[in-house]
Amino acid sequence: MSATWRARLPGVAVLVVAVLLLFLPRVADNYVLYVMTRLFVYVLVALGLNLLTGYAGQVSLGHAAFFAIGAYTAAVLAERWQWPSLLCLVAAGVFTGAVGYLLGLPCLRLSGLYLAMATLGFTLIVQEMLLQLAVLTHGSEGMKVAPASLLGLTFDSDTRKYYMLFAVTAAMLLFARNLVGGRLGRAFLAIRDNERAAAAMGVNLARYKTIAFAISALYTGLAGALSAFIVGFLDPQEFSFFLSIQFITIIILGGLASLLGSVLGACFLIFLPELLAGLDVWQALVYGLIMVMTILFMPFGLSGALRRYAFRWFGIGSEPMIPRRLGH
Amino acid sequence: MVEILTSQVVSGLATGCVYALIALGFVLIFKATDVVNFAQGEFVMVSGFISYTLLIRGGLPYWLVLVLTVVASGFVGVALERVVVRPIMDAPIFSIVIATIGASTVLRSSAGILYGYDVLPLPTLFSKDPVRLGVLTFTAMDAGVIGSSLAIMLALYLFIKLTKTGMAMRATAQSQTAARLMGVSVKRIFSLTWAISAGIGGVAGVLIAPIIYLDPNLGFIGVKAFAGAILGGFGSIPGAIVGGMLLGVLENLSGYFFNAGIKQVSTYILLILVLVIRPSGFFGAAPIRKV
Repeated sequence: MSATWRARLPGVAVLVVAVLLLFLPRVADNYVLYVMTRLFVYVLVALGLNLLTGYAGQVSLGHAAFFAIGAYTAAVLAERWQWPSLLCLVAAGVFTGAVGYLLGLPCLRLSGLYLAMATLGFTLIVQEMLLQLAVLTHGSEGMKVAPASLLGLTFDSDTRKYYMLFAVTAAMLLFARNLVGGRLGRAFLAIRDNERAAAAMGVNLARYKTIAFAISALYTGLAGALSAFIVGFLDPQEFSFFLSIQFITIIILGGLASLLGSVLGACFLIFLPELLAGLDVWQALVYGLIMVMTILFMPFGLSGALRRYAFRWFGIGSEPMIPRRLGH
Repeated sequence: MVEILTSQVVSGLATGCVYALIALGFVLIFKATDVVNFAQGEFVMVSGFISYTLLIRGGLPYWLVLVLTVVASGFVGVALERVVVRPIMDAPIFSIVIATIGASTVLRSSAGILYGYDVLPLPTLFSKDPVRLGVLTFTAMDAGVIGSSLAIMLALYLFIKLTKTGMAMRATAQSQTAARLMGVSVKRIFSLTWAISAGIGGVAGVLIAPIIYLDPNLGFIGVKAFAGAILGGFGSIPGAIVGGMLLGVLENLSGYFFNAGIKQVSTYILLILVLVIRPSGFFGAAPIRKV
């Protein structure tokens, strides 16, 4: 293999996957498409969470709350005031981003486990608020959401939902890629690796940390809103702290501070239960075992392992450098 | 009015003592090994089922069940450390956390497969009839739970302060390298710490399972205990005890004044407020940055 060909291989692989995904609805049945749409939702959340936790080093167990806020914002705007779907999505993303910014302010003083606990508390409080604000959210009854529509086109079939999610996810992935490669991404990494050194280099810690919270919440809120339109029903029970733990599991199994890791982790979490569905009562047991084994053999996540062996065996890319500590 | 209030405080204190025991398990492991073990709550669940099996299906006397349960729980702790945690001690901290979450999924679903998901009854040593002492009204069960918890805490304190092994544990917590140079087998201390933490979790299981319920989801009590440990200051032993107890009392009181939904949330609202004012809890030292 020539050196240029090796350097181009990752890009070519992404292109091939994108083309395959574009033609998937021609061959796949509706159930596969539904699973894929859920995968895209989780990829969006994982991208957002990875920006905050993987890149900026701020651990969050509050993302189930952001997901819920995005979902309910879109649903309430669509039901109460009949806003057009596109506007609902944008509003959900922006509003959740604003909430993330506000949550980021008190969290500036926290790090590591304390931050994890405070954000976990946020998840529990938001879930309770969904139940208490029954005027808007219909409380424990749950809430129906009509399918999204744009310029007269209604996204009601599995194929249409698939393409809607595919487009948004691809765009947001590209956005994230530019983000982490730019000034913001470098500032995030500097904060994660050493706050004092970052501050000494002129990175405004408070500003960039709250920005990380806002962007991360925006991604997650958007994912929540899309999920509301796809599933068509919101149940407050679903936005529990389990969901937050699932989200953090995705990025750690997939690989911290890695866009590829966000995607691989989401694949792991979505596809594995589908593959194990036939195991009935043994499903959770086998799932847990695979999770433990994955961490035991790939402590730096799927993408960390993939990069390491791609470099060692084929000389593609470079040996990944992953820090041991997050926060303190 | 005063009587209802005091009885609420006492029964909250009883639950709080159990939170404190579990929180102690979190903190002991964290201090010694730098690992946050999210399977801590599962020790409570596992020991609940062990004592149920020995007591109801085995027909053993209560004291023997208690001893066997604590020992068995300790072995579960050592097994977890050896199999899941030790191989990845060099991995990122949060990878270890996720590994322990995976392990707790395995334990929980194993319990579900073996015993099903129905709530099982577990008898208690103490009666639930109210006792009156001046303005104080409480049940023998509350008193028994509080008494046993305090006894365990005292025993643990004496063990760590007075014995040679306890000194080795303190040395390991301060500096693993220095401890190793002084001839302490750090690996053995790690195993011992996990055994003790799991054993304490076992006591907590025997105490709490008859009060709330016994089913495979009992382990989620660990989340509250974790909140207690954070409230007190993670890494501080007195912090874990005070934080756990405070959480129990507060939860009970807000359950009395507000509806059940607020009860669940009030503790977390307090937690966030405390963390905003004191970012490392009541007793926590400012985090040491290891650069």
